[in-house]
Amino acid sequence: MEEKLREELIKLFESKLSKPMQMYLETCSRCGICTPACHAYASMPQAKYTPAYRAEVVRRIFKKYFKLQGKIAPALGAAKVLDENTLDELYEAAYSCTGCRRCMVYCPFGIDTQQIMSIAKLLLIGANAEPELLTMLADVSVSKGEGIEDMKESFMQGLKRLEDQVLEKWKMEAGEMEAGETPIPIDVEGADLLYVALAGAHSIIPAAAVFNAAGEKWTLSFFEAVNFGAFVGDPTKTKLILDRIVNEANRLKVKEVCICECGTAFRVMKQMSGSQPFEVSSITDVHAKYIREGKIKLDKSKLNLPVTYHDPCQIARNGGVIDAPRYVLQQLGADYRELSADPKYNWCCGGGGGLVAMGDETHDFRMKSAKVKADQVQQTEAKILATACENCHAQLSDISKHYNMDVEVKYLSSMVADALIQ
Amino acid sequence: MDTIYYLVLVPMIYLAFFVFSVGTIIRLINIWRKPKFPTTLQIYPEKKPSWLWTLFDTFLLNSARRHNPVLWFFLMVFHFCFLLLIIGHLELIKDFRILQIIEHEIFLGKGFIGLILSISLIFFLFRRFVSPTKDLSVPEDYYLLILLFLAVIFGSEMDWARTLYGYEEMGVEDYRGYLMSLFLLKPDISFVDAPGHSFMLVLHVFFANLFLMFFPFSKIIHSFLSLPLNKLRRG
Repeated sequence: MEEKLREELIKLFESKLSKPMQMYLETCSRCGICTPACHAYASMPQAKYTPAYRAEVVRRIFKKYFKLQGKIAPALGAAKVLDENTLDELYEAAYSCTGCRRCMVYCPFGIDTQQIMSIAKLLLIGANAEPELLTMLADVSVSKGEGIEDMKESFMQGLKRLEDQVLEKWKMEAGEMEAGETPIPIDVEGADLLYVALAGAHSIIPAAAVFNAAGEKWTLSFFEAVNFGAFVGDPTKTKLILDRIVNEANRLKVKEVCICECGTAFRVMKQMSGSQPFEVSSITDVHAKYIREGKIKLDKSKLNLPVTYHDPCQIARNGGVIDAPRYVLQQLGADYRELSADPKYNWCCGGGGGLVAMGDETHDFRMKSAKVKADQVQQTEAKILATACENCHAQLSDISKHYNMDVEVKYLSSMVADALIQ
Repeated sequence: MDTIYYLVLVPMIYLAFFVFSVGTIIRLINIWRKPKFPTTLQIYPEKKPSWLWTLFDTFLLNSARRHNPVLWFFLMVFHFCFLLLIIGHLELIKDFRILQIIEHEIFLGKGFIGLILSISLIFFLFRRFVSPTKDLSVPEDYYLLILLFLAVIFGSEMDWARTLYGYEEMGVEDYRGYLMSLFLLKPDISFVDAPGHSFMLVLHVFFANLFLMFFPFSKIIHSFLSLPLNKLRRG
């Protein structure tokens, strides 16, 4: 590796050294308590899949360039020079970690391996060694946002084609239609709620039906919720993708921004948008609120098979939305079975951190590392596996197929929309 | 030999405390000067009051208890005994009335504290020779444990000599005279250079000095960072 590149990478590393990050890097005692926490290790017991080992790959570089011990006696802490071999190790560490933060629950100090892996991802970007597909997706997402004015017309035409499907789930009153309200309102200034969906009818139609059923004054965002910048670990692109939604919400003067079933999008919006004049909520929270307030009524006879719910890591353990999905499932009349007695210990689906977005490249690893997840689901004997994250949905569907599981993976929001009582 | 005794028992001690104090302070200041993280790093569901749960996690090693009870037992025993040893050493400098709330002899535990500590350290060391902990370990981990074990075993031997087989050549008053002289910057090793067990003291002090000097550059800094990190997790 050229010295100039190494220096640039060290500067990138330094840019990530916040107070918590420095403490995470200084503290680990390598006690190994986190070892069984990782689904990858639990499914494939190899040291390289333990959280402490992954973090150590980054920590050894930290020791070499930022600690006196690493400069005077590098052998003591096994400090490592940043070179091509280290980049390979960083890649394996970063892209075998889904950022689920289950290990953080185990660690006696609460070390956040996801944060440490964000250094690995940034260094890989700096060295042009990150997964190309993720960068491409992030770039496409950024450029779509930049060219939104040119795309608005075709986007709105596309939405028109979905309206009938929304009306199939929830028929709007004749008066509402005459008043100029549409099944999928967009760009409505003064709306109470801005709904940020994913690209795809599955993310828009059920949500629209439920909003209309609840009589919500809502509007759909022009932008898609998913933040590929966060997947690839690029802070600049993450912020660009986030800011355009924040700006849209402020322009429309909404009181609430509701994020669709996407874990990363929800956590980024909830925790990184800073102090704003609007609330950030997950669609599951909003649905639970509608049910509690009697704004929507659900047919409890629709679900006649046992159901379990997979808590998406970024929404539950890392985002705090835990009670709402259980309440919604209870209101759906489900024969509900918990995956884990304590939701913070729920196994990750194995598809986070950009792994699902990387597609076939990671398929083999995703399936092998999700063995514990498959076992966990099968033990409940549930026939319906509900979840509230597109990424988890895709991964769980792959797992279901791979392990021949007799379970149907469903979006929770779709289950709500399908059970609406007119 | 006298010169070696003197070097270890006087200048090396001052150097060790200087490196320990200044090194630790600089390291902590360096951390505290770093920018804040812009958002929460907590884990849900949250439990209130978070500060109380933080104390629980930090001082009772809650997650270790839940996920590795055997290791937790040795960790608790080790840390508790280490605390008692620190109190014992403070009492070797001078009597602190507050520490005598429960009346006790100097060096609590009738020699068993050192023994328990040694066993704990052997356990910590041996588990590092078994995978997967072995695969995570770096030389520093072994070095620190061996250093601590040596410091503890030689220190304990002095206590055992006194309490178990009535060795009275060097007692509490002798150690106190020596430590007080160091504390007042008028070092006098004549209290502790009697033949017999003084080499034990020299070895104990030597390894303890090495440990202290290594402290600011090692992972032992977790003794200061565990509390703020657990607070981050609890929110």
